[in-house]
Amino acid sequence: MTRVLHEPSRALPLVNLVVAFGTGAFFDPPGQEGLSRFTGRMLRRGTRARSARELEAALDRLGGELSVEVSATTTTLHAQVIRRNLGPFVDLVAEVLGSPAFAPDEVERLRKKVLAELVEARDNDRHLAQVAFRAAMFEGHPFGRTAQGRARTLASLTPESLEAHYARHYLRETATFGFAGDLSGQEAAAIAERLSAALPSGAPPSFDALQDPPGPRGRRLVIVDKPERTQTQILIGALGTSGHDPDHVPLLVATAIFGGTFTSRLMREVRSKRGWSYGASARLSVERVRHALAVWTFPAATDAAKCVALELDLFERFVELGVTPRETSFVRNYLVRSHAFEIDTPTKRLHQALDTHTLALPADYHTSYLERVRATTAEAASAAARARLSTRDLAIVVVGTASAIEGELRAALPGLDEVRVVPFDADADADQHG
Amino acid sequence: MDKRILATISALNARAPSPAHRWTYEGDVPFGADPLRAFTLGNGLRLLLLVDRQAPTVSYFTWFRVGSRHERPGKTGLAHLFEHLMFNETEHLRAGQFDRRLEESGAESNAATWLDWTYYYESLPKDRFGLAVSLESERMAHLVLREPQVASEKDVVANERRYRVEDDVEGAANELLYKTAFDRHPYHWPTIGWMDDIMGFTPADCEAFYASYYAPNNATLVVVGDVSERAVLEKIGRAYGGIPRGVVPEEDTLPDPPQTEAREVVLRRPTATTKVLVGYRGPALGDSEHTVLCVLNEVLFGGRASRLYERMVVETEVATELRGWVSTFRDPGLYEVFLTARAPHGSGELLRDLDAEIAHLKEELVTEDELERAKARLELGLLQSLDTAAGKAEQIGFYDTVLGDPRGAFAKLEAYRRVTRGQVRTAARRWLGAASRTIVTVLPQATESAAVTA
Repeated sequence: MTRVLHEPSRALPLVNLVVAFGTGAFFDPPGQEGLSRFTGRMLRRGTRARSARELEAALDRLGGELSVEVSATTTTLHAQVIRRNLGPFVDLVAEVLGSPAFAPDEVERLRKKVLAELVEARDNDRHLAQVAFRAAMFEGHPFGRTAQGRARTLASLTPESLEAHYARHYLRETATFGFAGDLSGQEAAAIAERLSAALPSGAPPSFDALQDPPGPRGRRLVIVDKPERTQTQILIGALGTSGHDPDHVPLLVATAIFGGTFTSRLMREVRSKRGWSYGASARLSVERVRHALAVWTFPAATDAAKCVALELDLFERFVELGVTPRETSFVRNYLVRSHAFEIDTPTKRLHQALDTHTLALPADYHTSYLERVRATTAEAASAAARARLSTRDLAIVVVGTASAIEGELRAALPGLDEVRVVPFDADADADQHG
Repeated sequence: MDKRILATISALNARAPSPAHRWTYEGDVPFGADPLRAFTLGNGLRLLLLVDRQAPTVSYFTWFRVGSRHERPGKTGLAHLFEHLMFNETEHLRAGQFDRRLEESGAESNAATWLDWTYYYESLPKDRFGLAVSLESERMAHLVLREPQVASEKDVVANERRYRVEDDVEGAANELLYKTAFDRHPYHWPTIGWMDDIMGFTPADCEAFYASYYAPNNATLVVVGDVSERAVLEKIGRAYGGIPRGVVPEEDTLPDPPQTEAREVVLRRPTATTKVLVGYRGPALGDSEHTVLCVLNEVLFGGRASRLYERMVVETEVATELRGWVSTFRDPGLYEVFLTARAPHGSGELLRDLDAEIAHLKEELVTEDELERAKARLELGLLQSLDTAAGKAEQIGFYDTVLGDPRGAFAKLEAYRRVTRGQVRTAARRWLGAASRTIVTVLPQATESAAVTA
């Protein structure tokens, strides 16, 4: 039975088409990190009937777009087209999904592109912070691995291994088809059948081996050392919840109080009172299993140490003392009323419905969300923060110039269990010689 | 004109407490399939209203016709600093209350400043529309500008500048491009301002700026969403009618003379690869050739079937990333080209390939297929920008503020459809001359300057 989700809207002459597969970078074998994402990107690089260039030109001609996103646990094809060209566009998507070419010259071309992206990504300090954060937060767990791959793991990918991965993971058995925009339910169902028939068939991969990550042990500071930084990028994280935990929504409410709005505790203390960082926020990620609560700021290098100390102090008080009824009432109103903007377009509504499938969330995760937010009391939010968040086991990542900030960070943060300084281009040798 | 609206206006005006509270209905223009209505209040405040019932929300944009082009050397960054200050204290709201009241209502809000304009917006659940009216009218007329607020926001903006410019390779290169390409025109300085200027602002500077530019007759409200037209007119008229008209200073801008010689500068940064940013002197947004140059840009840079992607990424493999953009400014701006080299290639090879394709465009007509693809890509981009009420309000306000045409987005789409192959070639010949360009080369820190081969 083909799973079809449909969010009709005649507001614009556009059609969105999404195909979500029950797979992700979690299934990259050790030593082949990057395999899933590389395979997904190869779908755009030619079919058995069309070269990569011909495919690109055909997409442009129709006013269409197509991409494949791969995260640790999801693989999703997103496509969009001007309504009048829907028919030929569906033919093209069926071809992309059903007969990708994995031509050796295109594999080489993409390999070079990904290697170049790895190098270019070093220009982006926020990205450097995120990579180091994942590694420190989830060491030894699949969430700590790179979905992008590294030079030496990308070198191991061959047209054959990519094609084999495609055949095992792009399965009609795990596919969910989503449609939003200017098309009827009948059209959506027919297109889903058509695309489903184009896909390989087989035994679905299993996420049974994906367990809760252990998280960091103790307080671990990682300084990503990059020259001439006038500013720092700081991420502080603790383990959070999974969408299945009964206190998941109370923890979402608590997190929003701590750093989820423009007037949150974090924003008030870091930006409004002290002017230290342009942004200051906390976010609870949702995955198939427990993920992280991450706190993000980016103060000037001269303010980095005192900013981290302040954040830790605020975080400890948040976890130990909890939140007030007044704060909870305020954030409840914010979350309930702003929910209109989570579902104000057909595409957003479609993605909510898809999330439930792709992240294996409880069936009523989104439909009961508002009700659960409304029911959250200050006691429940405080209890969730206390039960779920550790103030002892934290990953603290600072991207900056180590010579300028390391001493002050060590002095400002007594009781660190580990301090590591990593060059920002630590994987450069591996990239060049891998 | 819609007779029902005329009747509504007439009824509202009959009860108006003063001439400044009276509405004038300017008429409708089609925005897609819907009528976009234009009104002016007695004090000069413009209102553009589009009823859109796709979602139970409303977007409320306030566009001020002031940007960094209205600043003076030594006071750069004031328009942008002001955008921050507008979220602070007012006579009737303590610091922090503005954001707090919006958040409590589930609103999204933000603001943006650029060379030609500044806007503020709220998107709210439709039953909270009145809150946007009361908050925006309050800060248009009653902002409090004192030393602690100004000092704190200067620090925040300094941090924003570090984030966007000092520690960002592309941000730094882009700033240098405009600084080098323009000598006298205010596009010479960055909207965020020079760091020394930011740190030097006083409350008196801010007061003077507020008094000059934040007047109802220098603003346009754009309302898009699931609202009643009568309620919108009634609430806005009541809240803003008492704000006096201001004396907005006349613009005093020095245009740059035509550029007749290429300009080149080098920037060193801790980056792994060479980057080249090229700025050709380009047309203003309102110039008919702006549209043609946008089509030309798609032929060169639009997607992986484009000419330069094919040549530089696939064939010669000298570049890893490339893109082009025709600046959308009121006065003539730049046609920006950004190229990232694949090591060990450098700026010489990047410019060689760019120049070869530009020479080709000047000689040969683009193909019908290329033209068709470019137009389809531009049409898709426009439709995507109209996905939400906020997206529509932004397009309406942008084109109204810069060109005086609230349906400019659709006019642009119609103009794209009329572009011919010959016009593309003419535009290449007219705008893409080597003498009228500025080149910023970003070199990895350790590289010797001899490596600049441009």
